[in-house]
Amino acid sequence: MGHADVNIKINGENRKFTCEAHISLLRLLRDNYYYDVKCGCEKGDCGTCTVFLDGKAVKSCVTLAAACDGHEVWTIKGLGGSDALAEKLQKAFVECGAVQCGFCTPGMIVAGLEYLKKGGRADRNAIRKAISGNLCRCTGYVKIVDAIFKTAREVESEVSE
Amino acid sequence: MQILSDSLIGAVTPRTDAPAKAAGRIQFTSDINIPGMMYGAILRSPHPHAEIVSIDTSAAEAMGAVCLTYEDINPVLYNERSVSIPSATYRDRTVLPKKARHCGEPVATVAADTQELAFKALKELKVTYNILEPVFDPMEAMKDGAPELYDTIYLGDEAVKIHNNIGVIRNIDEGDCDAGFKAADRIFEHHFELERIYHCQLETKGAVCKPEPDGSITVWATAQSIHANRQLLGRILGLPLSKINVKKLPFGGSFGSSIQVNTVTPICASLAMKAGRPVKLITSREEDFYDHHKYPAIFDVKLGVSNDGRLTAAHVKAVVDFGAHQIQPMAFLGCTAGWFASLYKYDGNIRFDGIAVYTNKTPCCAMQGYGNPQINFAIESMVDIICEEMGFDPIDFRLKNYRGPGEEFWGQGPTIRSIIKSSGVEESLVEGREVFGFDERTAPSSKNGDIRRGIGLARGFHTSGTAGPKEGEVIDYSSATIKINEDGSVDLITPVTDHGGGTCDALKKIAAEVLQVPLEMIGLSPAETMNTGYDVCTHATRGVYCGGAAVYHVAMKVKDKLLETAGRLMAEHAYNLEVIRDDRLGQGVVQVKGYPLKKMTVGEIARQAQIMSWGTIAYTDSYRQRNCPPCFTTHFVEAEVNLKTGVISIPRVLIYGDCGTAVNPDLVKGQLIGSFNRGLGYTLYERLAYDGRGRLTNSGLMTDYKMPTISEMPSVEDIDVRICHTYEPSGPFGAKGIGEAALASVQAAIANAVYNAIGIRFFKLPITPEAVLKELKKKARER
Repeated sequence: MGHADVNIKINGENRKFTCEAHISLLRLLRDNYYYDVKCGCEKGDCGTCTVFLDGKAVKSCVTLAAACDGHEVWTIKGLGGSDALAEKLQKAFVECGAVQCGFCTPGMIVAGLEYLKKGGRADRNAIRKAISGNLCRCTGYVKIVDAIFKTAREVESEVSE
Repeated sequence: MQILSDSLIGAVTPRTDAPAKAAGRIQFTSDINIPGMMYGAILRSPHPHAEIVSIDTSAAEAMGAVCLTYEDINPVLYNERSVSIPSATYRDRTVLPKKARHCGEPVATVAADTQELAFKALKELKVTYNILEPVFDPMEAMKDGAPELYDTIYLGDEAVKIHNNIGVIRNIDEGDCDAGFKAADRIFEHHFELERIYHCQLETKGAVCKPEPDGSITVWATAQSIHANRQLLGRILGLPLSKINVKKLPFGGSFGSSIQVNTVTPICASLAMKAGRPVKLITSREEDFYDHHKYPAIFDVKLGVSNDGRLTAAHVKAVVDFGAHQIQPMAFLGCTAGWFASLYKYDGNIRFDGIAVYTNKTPCCAMQGYGNPQINFAIESMVDIICEEMGFDPIDFRLKNYRGPGEEFWGQGPTIRSIIKSSGVEESLVEGREVFGFDERTAPSSKNGDIRRGIGLARGFHTSGTAGPKEGEVIDYSSATIKINEDGSVDLITPVTDHGGGTCDALKKIAAEVLQVPLEMIGLSPAETMNTGYDVCTHATRGVYCGGAAVYHVAMKVKDKLLETAGRLMAEHAYNLEVIRDDRLGQGVVQVKGYPLKKMTVGEIARQAQIMSWGTIAYTDSYRQRNCPPCFTTHFVEAEVNLKTGVISIPRVLIYGDCGTAVNPDLVKGQLIGSFNRGLGYTLYERLAYDGRGRLTNSGLMTDYKMPTISEMPSVEDIDVRICHTYEPSGPFGAKGIGEAALASVQAAIANAVYNAIGIRFFKLPITPEAVLKELKKKARER
């Protein structure tokens, strides 16, 4: 199998990798210590590995690393330090009891954040749809929806002020 | 154990580990990285039943891989689960077998410098199998002439011959069942079947093992008990326990999946010892699917009922297909008997005939409830049938017959029993009747149209821990160390693991409340087997009740020392002093009772004790609970059935949880809601189907397994979760457990609601759309 040179801007930092051409973005990230991106299935089923690729939430386990050459990736760790909306959502996850074991949480927050960034409203049905590709075995999802709903409402009230 | 009005106990506080988890900064097993580490991979049997004639590792070794087969590993015979006492534990397995007994069973293992290389080396292993006839059906397995998985196994140190694949027989007989059935006016008999399901915890099992320069080994592993892991590794590696250090880690959900020492852990440790280098071995999702399952069950239930609405006798026959290895089906049968015996009084006349059978399938282990959701589905469905046919009110009937305060509860099979002291059953049934509008439900026959709704209820419980006044088959005690630092902050060191439900958060609150320090001043120290006393395991809903009791006990001792030290410094008798939390100062304050002007902060006291060289205010001890109080649950469910598609949805649910004092009500509710979701999966969707060759038909895919997503959950406004107002006198601050209880009655409540909607009784789970349509067709033909 051949190798590929991949330049990716990860969490705002330009990174250069040489990796095997067939590996996934998830493998590349975890091999380079981005352990905040979790691996739950490597089949695109569970959503624990969800990251932003050029502003779009993708499952990194079914994204080819080599195809990300020249693109921009944000993971939960990077978002936490630099994105106000992400921090707001993280805080809401904590306050609403949306975190139990915490394994689905990074991916779940990225999925929720994408919804909010696209202008998603405080609408529980729409939120449910937005996170329907992410699995959680602990919480029953209810408090996760609460957290995204709460953040959406905060954003709405800021806009109307 | 008085609770103060500004108590941390009962207050909603965001869990303290949540910010780090939300930031992706918590380290799970798979996030452990050690410079120079190798990567392990496991070769698994493609055959459900095959002798391993030979394994040629030369090609893999030529690639630089370290290889292990059954010939290289210490053939210690063990049971992965060690919470039962050794004399009550069946042992039938080694780390790597000479004979594969289920598809996916580890056969050989390799470690290499990269993961890629490990997988390539795995492909170079050449195994010669002598393929044997498999058996998958438990009824077939018990027949003469069926393929046999074992000849001899061990119960403790005693050899046990296995005949007809029967692993365990467990019969329990109390009272006089024959007389009880004779005294009955009606006898009800039904057959129930529950499928194998899978934990689907989001973190797959794994281990990282690092040999140390002094010949010891450090282990990071997905584990519900660090001490159980250390003890078994000691036997397998032939090392003193002082040379094995297992680290406590958070893990990505468990639901029982790591109650045992996971198969991967001794494999990884053996690889690391052979290689003399650290090895990381994380299993894939597909491997995890073949690792452990929930016990399936087949029940034949017979209940006697008198015309005045009293259960007079009960007889349960259980057949359990537990797969290829015993992870204690003996305990499983005992527990199942106990849950059944403790649900209702039956005039004290109970009989349980349990039989557990080997098959060439994945071994079954604990999964939330350990037989409780299974038998609860059968009994609570039967109670619904009895009430319907004999015209009893389902709530009054339950109130009349349930085992409540003053009566005996079997916390872990027949040998662990204690007397019930607190119960939220009455509150939940009486209040729930009104809140849910239960009496407004109409008969199935009065409903029309393609969309029909029905209301059902069921009640259940689980134990809190596995301790009774008398010791029994199961080990139960915990340990804790607490010390006060020189600034008034506190270190808590506990071996108790947290599955994700927030157990350790509760332990912190208990310590904080006893010592009257703000929650943020309690540090949960990294814990490992080297610096903690024994804790059996976070299982049996014992984390808060038993682990919390140990923390409470040790914190009280530390408080005594604190007041004694303060007394010396303040020239006061210790009994004249009290400690209170001062949120303004951000720490605890010791003051003279009734004269708060004379006071010192806890930090000052600890600092002065240090300056005077009096020593650290600290204490370590083990503590054993002497009760196993049931935590009760009740589920009221509204189900909607689409007669055209067979799809069932749940528009409305009311859940009651009785956990004694709720240490953190939000986390209790989180447990109840999460469990409802898992119960929904168990009742309506989940099932591990095998093809005829011993392979799972879902091919390791979570979506094909049909674990519920958000789309299946009732919408948020319609889940009403309530905590009963009870106080458990034997628990820390009145607390008992909730975790496993939260699932117990979900299945029956949904099935009873489905019956009320369409008049069809389901005796098998899951109730898939196909099953609904099939029954509807049958009903139409009969009409």
